[in-house]
Amino acid sequence: MDATEAAAVLARARQGDSEAFRELVERHGRNVFRLAFRMTGNEQDAEDVVQEAFLRAFRQLGRFESRANFGTWLYRIVANCSVDLMRAKQSRHDISRSESLDDAVELPAIDAAGPDRLAQSAEIQARVREALSGLSPLERAAFILRHHEGRSIEEISKTLDLGTSAAKHSVFRAVKKLRIALAPLRSQES
Amino acid sequence: MSTHYSEDDLTLYYYGEAPSAGFGAARRKADIERHLQQCSDCARLYREIADTLAMVVAEEAPERGERYGLEVWQRIRHQLPEAEAKFGWFTGFTKVAGLAAVAAMLVIAAFIAGRFSTNPSNLANPANPANVANSANSANPANPANPSNPSNPSNPANPSNPSNPSNLGNPGLALLVSDVADHLERSERMLTDIMNTSNPGDISMEQGWAEDLLSTSRLYRQDAVEAGEQSIATILDDVERNLLEIVHSPSKISAADLEQLRRRIDAAALLFKVRVMSEQLRDREAAPADRPSPRASTSKIS
Repeated sequence: MDATEAAAVLARARQGDSEAFRELVERHGRNVFRLAFRMTGNEQDAEDVVQEAFLRAFRQLGRFESRANFGTWLYRIVANCSVDLMRAKQSRHDISRSESLDDAVELPAIDAAGPDRLAQSAEIQARVREALSGLSPLERAAFILRHHEGRSIEEISKTLDLGTSAAKHSVFRAVKKLRIALAPLRSQES
Repeated sequence: MSTHYSEDDLTLYYYGEAPSAGFGAARRKADIERHLQQCSDCARLYREIADTLAMVVAEEAPERGERYGLEVWQRIRHQLPEAEAKFGWFTGFTKVAGLAAVAAMLVIAAFIAGRFSTNPSNLANPANPANVANSANSANPANPANPSNPSNPSNPANPSNPSNPSNLGNPGLALLVSDVADHLERSERMLTDIMNTSNPGDISMEQGWAEDLLSTSRLYRQDAVEAGEQSIATILDDVERNLLEIVHSPSKISAADLEQLRRRIDAAALLFKVRVMSEQLRDREAAPADRPSPRASTSKIS
């Protein structure tokens, strides 16, 4: 689909043409899933985010500015849906996640040798996943956008509707918590 | 070297971002690089950060087939709002226009019928008292036909007149309504974060967030006052007062201070008010621009 064709499809979708919206879902579905998976770290949650993101996009299409990039706009929706879903899960399960860095959980050391081996081991990944789950939804989202998605602080603040300082603080706190939680693994490496 | 770089500076450095963007950023980067070669403390801290972050590798997302988009579409298609409800302004407009045409035809028919049923002598005689009363009546301010009557649609004071600033046909107001709705939703998220924080501790992140919201809120409040949207201005004022409390609280907040902050938010029923107002604004936003929208300024939330 070339740019003119894509713009035409988008214009029709904005007029309420559901067939045109179907084309957008088909076109962006896989990318949306990939991002949702990275943000949530869970396949089922990612599926929920995909669904909610497209529904939200459809409801908000009237507010989308035609000169903006649809992919970027959708990206923001997916990121925010992920944060909302993680927040909802957090309050539903009443997970009293620590907000204090002093209470960041330090994971016990594991037996393994060599940094390369460590990085590749499934156990290391499980520990990292556990450490990531100790972050607040906003910290996790900001960190994933910075670390995995390569977004700048400025872009993160726009994506998550945060001020620059809040976006920066979210990344800093995430890194601090991860550094504390993964300290035993680092000592294995050195 | 006597000064050390903070963990935050080194984190930004790791990601290739300058601590303060703009002029001199490249120089700052070079300074850090040089410092790390000379300072063993900072070099150790940087190594810790780099080693930690090197461990966090992206997990491969499970593969999704070519037809995944179509599968998603099948799942959501029945949940999509009806096109007419969502994008109903056009279809709504045609319906209204149709009804208006029918109404106009009925009025014309009634007028013609009235003309024919009226005593011709009355129509012909300008001195007839009934006719004098009729002409006086058209100048009566209470007469709906009088342009100065507020209920007359041609009167700019009438909310149904598109020139009335309260009508969202006014693009500036429509923008304000939409922006304030977004702003209130963001504020609600932030306040919810404060209310749900499980433990007292560092709220510097929330404070940074509150500070940003505060400056935006002031601008919107000013715009709302100028647009005569008093209820929007009032709720923004309420929000600002609480944001200010958050900004001015100590970053390492004690359990007692946090509790006090929450009690203040609770006592003002702020979250409820914010939610109701943002819903009202969304409704106004969704209302077609060619019909009068419910004026938020008349519905006070208390």
